[in-house]
Amino acid sequence: MRGERLFIALMLAPAFLVLALFYLYPTLQNLAISLTDLSLLRLKVGGNWVGLDNYREFVTGPDFGHILFNTVVWLTLLSVALRMLIGLGMALLLDSRVLKRVRLSTIAKLAILVPWATPPIVAVVIWRWMLDGQNGIVNAVLKNLGIVDHPVAFFADLRTVWPSVVTIIVWNTVPLVAVSLLASLQSIPDELNEAAALDGAARWQQFRYITLPFLMPTITVLTLMSVFWTFNNFVYVWLATGAGPGTYTNVLATEIYIKAFVDFRLGYSSAVGMVMALVMAVFGIVYYRFLAPSELKDSL
Amino acid sequence: MTAGALELDPRSAAQAPRRGTWQRPTPMRTVVVLVITAVLLLFMVYPAIYIFYGSFKAGGGMLGESSGFTLANYRRIFASGFVRFTLNSVLICAAATAVSTFVSVCAAYVFSRYRFRGRGVLFGAVLLGQMFPWIMLVNPLFVAYAKLGLVNSYGGMIFCYTAFTIPFSVYMLTGYLATVPRSLDEAATIDGATRFQVIWKIVFPIMMPGIVATATYAFLLCWTEYLFALAFLTRTEMKTLPLGLYQFFGDDRVDWGAVMAASAIATLPTLILFLPLQSKLTSGLAAGAVK
Repeated sequence: MRGERLFIALMLAPAFLVLALFYLYPTLQNLAISLTDLSLLRLKVGGNWVGLDNYREFVTGPDFGHILFNTVVWLTLLSVALRMLIGLGMALLLDSRVLKRVRLSTIAKLAILVPWATPPIVAVVIWRWMLDGQNGIVNAVLKNLGIVDHPVAFFADLRTVWPSVVTIIVWNTVPLVAVSLLASLQSIPDELNEAAALDGAARWQQFRYITLPFLMPTITVLTLMSVFWTFNNFVYVWLATGAGPGTYTNVLATEIYIKAFVDFRLGYSSAVGMVMALVMAVFGIVYYRFLAPSELKDSL
Repeated sequence: MTAGALELDPRSAAQAPRRGTWQRPTPMRTVVVLVITAVLLLFMVYPAIYIFYGSFKAGGGMLGESSGFTLANYRRIFASGFVRFTLNSVLICAAATAVSTFVSVCAAYVFSRYRFRGRGVLFGAVLLGQMFPWIMLVNPLFVAYAKLGLVNSYGGMIFCYTAFTIPFSVYMLTGYLATVPRSLDEAATIDGATRFQVIWKIVFPIMMPGIVATATYAFLLCWTEYLFALAFLTRTEMKTLPLGLYQFFGDDRVDWGAVMAASAIATLPTLILFLPLQSKLTSGLAAGAVK
C-alpha cells in the first residue's frame, strides 16, 4: 500500500531527522575533526590534516593506561558491581517478612526512592558537603568514633578520592536497581518457595535455585544498561573532582572535555572521543550477544 | 500449601502475609533486619533532606554553625541572577520537551502499530541513542554551532535537549502503546476514520497518562542536564540552573549557603514530580527491557 508507506515515512521523519542531525552527522564530523589539528581558538581558519597523529599521541602517551584503567575499573566496573550487589541486598531486605510484619515496607520503599529523585548534579553537591575536609559530617562522625585523628580531605587524598566518587555514584543510582529487582522478586510465585521449603530446601538453596534464576534476566539488563550509562558519564567525576587531584581521577569523558575546552585541542579531543566510541562498541557487541536471542526478536 | 501453613501457625496465616507463613521471624532476626533498615534509610534519605535544612541556615548548615532559620541564602542567590538561570531552564526544557514528545509520539505510534521493512533497524538505532557517549558529540556540535551562531542561543539548546530525550521517549511510548489494544484502531478504521483521526480521537486520549509520564521524565532529564549546557552556554545571562548552581563553587571557597539553596530549588521539582512518576517508570522499563 503506497498510502501506508507514505504515512509511516511521514510519522517517522521528524524524529529521525533530529536524530540524524544530532547523532549521525556529528559522529561523522567528529571522525573528520579527529584527523586534523583543529584548535578551538582557530575555528574560522580550520585545522590541518594530520592523519592518525592524534590517535598515536593519545594511545602511546603516558596517560593512556591510567585513563583507561580509571574509566573501566574505577568508574564502571566497581561502581556497577557495587550498585548491583547493594541493590540486590536492598531488594531482598524490602521484600523481607520482618519489614512486612512491622508494616515498614512501603515507607522503606518510598525512602529509597529519594536518591533516585535527586538529580546527579545535586547528589554531587550533597556528598561534597558530607565529605568536606574541614566541617563535613562524615569527618565529624569518624572523629567522634576515634577512627581518625585529623579530618580526611576525601577529595584531595589519593587513597580516598575514588572511593568517594564511587560512593556518590552508587548512592544516586542504586534505587533504580533495588526497585526493579524488588518488582521482579514480587513476581516470583509464592508456591515455588513454599514447595521448596516443604521439600526441605534451606533458605540459601531457595535463593540460589529459585530467586536468583528468576531475577537473572532483570539483573543482566540492569547491569548492561548501567555499564553504558556509567561509562559514558561525565558529570559525576567532573563535578566531584574536576578529574583531580591533578589528573588522578581523569576518565575518558573528562579527558575529552579538558582537551577540547581547557587545552583548546579539538582535533586531539575528537580522537579521544573516537577511542571512547570504540570501547563502547566492544561493550555494545557484548550487549547484543547477551540479549539478541530474546529481546531483539521480541521487540524488533 | 495454605492448609499446611495454617496447621503450623494459624495466627500469622490469619494475617495473610504473602510468603513463608509457616515460620515466624525470631526476635533476634527482627532486630537485625530493623537495624540494617534504619542504617540504610539514614544513608539514603539523610543527605537529600539535608539540602532543604541547610538551605535555611546561614552557612548552609555546616557543623558547628549555630544560626537560626533564615531566608538569606534564597535572597542572595535570587539577587545574583538565579531567577534568570531558572527561567532559562524552564524555557529551554519546556520547549524541548514539547517538541521531543510530539515527534516521539508519532514515531512510537508507527513502531507499535505497523510492521514494515527496516523497522527493527530503526528501532535499534533509537535504542542506541540511549547508550551513546554524548560527550563525543560536544566537539562537532560546538564547531557546527559556532558556524551557525547557535552557541549561547535558546534554539541550540532546545535542539540539543530535544534530540537528547527522543530515544528515551520513543522507547517508553512504544512500550505504553503496546498496552493499548489494536482492535480499537481497527474498529475505528472500519467505521471510516482516517489514520490521523484514529490517532487524535482514539489513541491519543487513551495514552495520555503515558504521554504525561514520558514528558515529565523528559523534562526532568533536561532540567538537570549539565554537559551540553556547560559546553554551549558561556554567557552568564544564557546559563541554565545546573550551571548557576555550580557557580557558587569558587576556586578556593564554597558558598555553602547559596549552594544549598540553589540545590533545593533544583531538587524540589524532581522530588515532587518523581514520586508519582516512579511506578510508571519502573513498570515501563521492566516491560520494555525485560521481555
